[in-house]
Amino acid sequence: MAFNDSLREMFAMIELEMRRLKHDRTEIYTRAVQPILWLAVYGTVMSHVRDIPTNGIPYIDYITPGVLLQSTIFVSVFYGLTIVWERETGILKRLLVAPASRYATVIGRAIASGVRAVVQALIIFPVAILLGVKFIANPIYILAAFIMLFMVSGGFAALSIFVASLMKTRERFMGIGQAMIMPLFFASNALYPITLMPPFLQSIAVLNPLTYAVDAVRGLMISGDVANVPVDFMAVIAFDVVIFIVASISFRKIIE
Amino acid sequence: MASAIDIRQLTKVYDGKVNALDGVDLTVKAASIFALLGPNGSGKTTLMRILTTQIHPTMGLARAFRYDVDKDDDKVRKIIGYVPQEMSVWTDITGFENLLIYAKIYGVSSLQRKKAIWDALQNMGLEDVANGPVKKYSGGMIRRLEIACALLIKPKILFLDEPTLGLDPSARKAVWENLRSFKKEYGTTVFFNTHYMDEADLYSDEVAIINQGKIVKTGTASELKRSLHGEIISFCLANNGTDSMHPSTAPLRQDLNILTKIRALNFVNDATVHDSVMDVAVENGEIAMPLIIDVLRSEGISLQWIRSTRPTLDDVFLKYAGMRHMQDQSGYHYGI
Repeated sequence: MAFNDSLREMFAMIELEMRRLKHDRTEIYTRAVQPILWLAVYGTVMSHVRDIPTNGIPYIDYITPGVLLQSTIFVSVFYGLTIVWERETGILKRLLVAPASRYATVIGRAIASGVRAVVQALIIFPVAILLGVKFIANPIYILAAFIMLFMVSGGFAALSIFVASLMKTRERFMGIGQAMIMPLFFASNALYPITLMPPFLQSIAVLNPLTYAVDAVRGLMISGDVANVPVDFMAVIAFDVVIFIVASISFRKIIE
Repeated sequence: MASAIDIRQLTKVYDGKVNALDGVDLTVKAASIFALLGPNGSGKTTLMRILTTQIHPTMGLARAFRYDVDKDDDKVRKIIGYVPQEMSVWTDITGFENLLIYAKIYGVSSLQRKKAIWDALQNMGLEDVANGPVKKYSGGMIRRLEIACALLIKPKILFLDEPTLGLDPSARKAVWENLRSFKKEYGTTVFFNTHYMDEADLYSDEVAIINQGKIVKTGTASELKRSLHGEIISFCLANNGTDSMHPSTAPLRQDLNILTKIRALNFVNDATVHDSVMDVAVENGEIAMPLIIDVLRSEGISLQWIRSTRPTLDDVFLKYAGMRHMQDQSGYHYGI
């Protein structure tokens, strides 16, 4: 019944994350400040520059999916810090002595981070509406967009756990995390279409899971052009599967 | 009596060169409290990590109630509780929630969950603070909460790595009193690592000393103490009428002479002198003391004071796990 044990641990990890969130909501609010500034300040200013081809979409609307995803993915990319902290304390040792498999800890944690990301996005979403961003009023599209957001955040959390299992200390982890963040954001279609990039950056953007997530969320929430959405979902699912496997395998290294 | 833990020739080599464990043999009786003592780096944490299925042994066999900790690790995990040395609860949620998460991880059914949690809280005397955030707990309360998490599933073996490290004496006492009453109620085997000799002495049924990856001594605390020597009687020799502070050769020769005489006495195991204090190792101080005093008197030596010390577990530990260190520091040479 190892599978049941693992499933239970996954749910327990999600519940843990929710309970933490319930006790301290400050983080969710403070983390919403930066994306709101991106929309309100950067978006407003840049919308006067009419050189960015957005297919007739107002620039603030155009960058909203990217900013939404960026704010949740940043949280996921640093999720590994929690794991590093739990390694420094005895929590991880203790979880590894529990009956669940090791992959349950990794996947449970990654899913928990995905759930946290959805909560984060739910705070920014109404602010974007207040800023005048026009979302497509189709509940199924909105739901699909949130599922995409959940999946890609979970994947990046797993990536972060993978990095944590190699880096092991806070300082080294922070270094890698910081180095990942900016290229991740700028080498994607979050702020401008890929076609504007130099070829080298374009090839990175094509490998960047964030590009597919932004494309899907933009199609579902803003432009209504959903032709690429199935491909986007497939790309993100492939990313999730690979990174879950890699992180689970590498996780045993963390306590050695 | 059945054994809870059986270890045969257990070896752990790190990176192909460091022998953390070097052929450990050990048996722990079921429903006993077992203390593993050892200096830093002696292998005691490695041993506990193998027994709790965290790392694999290089060679040898270890069983917890007939389950091989290496091959049947998933079965072993269901019957053991473990409290690592470092803090191991989430501090940003309440004590109750910590137990709730562990209850779910361990699959305590929803019907029994509440009762199991309150039982564990009660066992550790935490009912009153259960709904407070853990970050407001004291060190002793956190440790008791960690043990409560491990007790949730009523484990057959409870592993504690330095359970009272950094706690004040009253918190230590509280931890142990709660543990003992739990053990009495459920017959749990308790296996713990410690640096605190008094704790091993007071609370354990059996003790093993590990040094450089090998078990060097096992037995009950009193057996180990008896194995050293009966008692040490220290005599402070007065400077006996001679005016000089410490004349060069004569007293030395005199000392040697006295030592030989004292060593020759019945009931005396050994005698040494340093800084005008003579330590005599004896089996039974009450009988030996008058005889020694007679010898000293006959040599015309008067005494400033006499002190008798029975061996403590510290002495046992120092002998088996830190002899060289002790000699360097104090110059004692118990001639055993």
